[in-house]
Amino acid sequence: MATLFVAGMNHRSAGVELREQLALEEDKLRGILADLNDRGLCTEMMILSTCNRVEVYGLAEAPGAARAAAFRALGAARGVSLAQVEPLLYHKTEDEAVLHAFRVAASLDSMILGEPQILGQVKDAFALAQSCRTVGPTLHALMTQAFSVAKRIRTETEVGRHAVSASYAAVELARKIFGSLEGKAVLLVGAGEMGELAARHLMEQGAMPVYVANRTWSRAQDLAQALSGTAVPYEQFPATMAVVDVVITSTAAPEPIVRAPEVDRALHSRRHRPLFFIDLAVPRNVEPAVNDLEDAFCYDVDDLRLVVEANLRERQKEAQRAEALVEREVAKFAARLRDLEVVPTIVSLREKLETIRRGELDKALSRLPAATEETRQVMEALSQAIVNKVLHAPIVKLKDSTRDGHHARFAELISELFGLRRPREEREP
Amino acid sequence: MNAVLYDVALTAYIIATASALGYLLGRREGLSRFTILMTQTGWVFHTLALVVRGVELRHLPLMTLAETVSVVIWVAVFLELWVERAYRVKVLGAFVLPVVLVLGLALPTGLRVLALTPAASSVWVKVHVALALVGLAALVLNFAAAVMYLLQERQLKGRRPGTVYYRLPSLETLDRLSYRTLTLGFPFLTTGLLLGVFFAGKAWGSPFAFDPLALFSSVMWAVYAATLSGRAAGRWRGRRAAYFAVAGFCVLLLTLGAGVMLQGKHGS
Repeated sequence: MATLFVAGMNHRSAGVELREQLALEEDKLRGILADLNDRGLCTEMMILSTCNRVEVYGLAEAPGAARAAAFRALGAARGVSLAQVEPLLYHKTEDEAVLHAFRVAASLDSMILGEPQILGQVKDAFALAQSCRTVGPTLHALMTQAFSVAKRIRTETEVGRHAVSASYAAVELARKIFGSLEGKAVLLVGAGEMGELAARHLMEQGAMPVYVANRTWSRAQDLAQALSGTAVPYEQFPATMAVVDVVITSTAAPEPIVRAPEVDRALHSRRHRPLFFIDLAVPRNVEPAVNDLEDAFCYDVDDLRLVVEANLRERQKEAQRAEALVEREVAKFAARLRDLEVVPTIVSLREKLETIRRGELDKALSRLPAATEETRQVMEALSQAIVNKVLHAPIVKLKDSTRDGHHARFAELISELFGLRRPREEREP
Repeated sequence: MNAVLYDVALTAYIIATASALGYLLGRREGLSRFTILMTQTGWVFHTLALVVRGVELRHLPLMTLAETVSVVIWVAVFLELWVERAYRVKVLGAFVLPVVLVLGLALPTGLRVLALTPAASSVWVKVHVALALVGLAALVLNFAAAVMYLLQERQLKGRRPGTVYYRLPSLETLDRLSYRTLTLGFPFLTTGLLLGVFFAGKAWGSPFAFDPLALFSSVMWAVYAATLSGRAAGRWRGRRAAYFAVAGFCVLLLTLGAGVMLQGKHGS
């Protein structure tokens, strides 16, 4: 009986140099899949290759040999021997392999918990294996279920929410203050890269217009043009605070350039609509007293780092809920997998009896040349009824056996009793 | 029968409150759905209790303080369910239901019968009470929105996000919710009180005759009027408006307390 397995290495088990060497491009993966399939080492196979993990999912009579062959082939492309890779590999079979696949797709096994890219990468690996015709019913069922579990985790938990980078954390904070960022004006003071990145993230959420102030006027103009915004003279930036909602500062000034009295004046003239300061400069550009003003919110790089840490803790809390959900889904899938395993035997059994029925019916009818259409229909129905009655008990017994895990023994027994061809024989030409 | 229905409603509100607080702190989506289900169940039984009471007494259940507070709760729960859906503020229940529960559990202390003079038997007196109660119910939500605003603002100012930071919506949403509930509640309260002043003049001889409930109601109205005018003029918003909403609600509780504890022309 073929066994479902996963073997591979990830960011925890292997260093980045080795992972890089084994992360192959699509053409090479396609060649390896075709080769392993031709050699009959796996009945089904797919290879997931990303910058953080290289994994082989498959169904094989001898999973250990299939794993070795797969990683020998993956390593051969870059001159890495199996002996180098073998000690770093993890190997899981059956329910553990299912659990691993679900956790990977749901980003519970990722370096950055809940990052969304991995699901797309798993989908791409699956599509590649499908195009190489190395996906059968088991991997198909496993992966479609893994996608569905990942989607459920994304919608039912917050494991993928809450930003884990400083610039996205700033955007989320802005949303916590203003709700929608549609039409919120942004002032960028200084032309640093971090500031530009934060401004772009805000603009992606609909924030506009954008004003840019910089000590060097030409640099302000260039950046304003790049952001489709407006350059304002550096001296005018305190006055501009009255008409914007978010102020991003990233200048190299040695002392604070945004002072509390100026902010107070700006808040007064904007009738105390909130003003959000993102201070990305070190040393800080915004005086700490600004945060004490009513309706002014100020976050510097350290604050953003603390928010990111809190967000990661929140994701970890949510991950516990996601793990419980995954475990429930694994149990369900294991039952489904066992059902799938008896399907070939049931199909063979039906085909065998149908062949016998059809042959014997044709023989009988050939001896009755004068038989009317009605007689033929009655004989057809009679033979079908007999076959169905004979099939009923063994099929029910076989399906029931999946619940207590005895299905392999029953499938073997039925194959022997009815003289069915074995799945392995069926695949051979 | 009426008491049994009311007890069932109160029990459902207690379960809904526990569930809503659980959702606020733990964020199990199932708890959110369960809270809504229990709140709706409570509200249906509460409605039945009020109908049975009305049929038994053959008049609207607005004659005792217990009845009037019960109607405030009933409207507040209805508004809470509606606003939660309209604004998608799933944690609203965690802030409204505890207030509902405190008022609901305090009901037995307010069984005193309100004054029923010949003039008070007029249908307009019932309208006076009903309008004021709808206004008060909306102001319960105004208080809840203000508390949520202050909590979220504190989290954002503190720059150390805690559990409620993740659960509460944006300041903008909360400020808008606070303003909308004020603009909904205040006209009802004002019309109700104006009718009250008119009938007080007819029933008591003078609209300004001393009565604790009327006095506290006037103070409460003044606080809310100041808040609304401040907001409309663009002077107060955010934290300042939230403080006023909390102050207004404190006077609202004092008003109800005065109605229960102090003898006056409203009670006999």
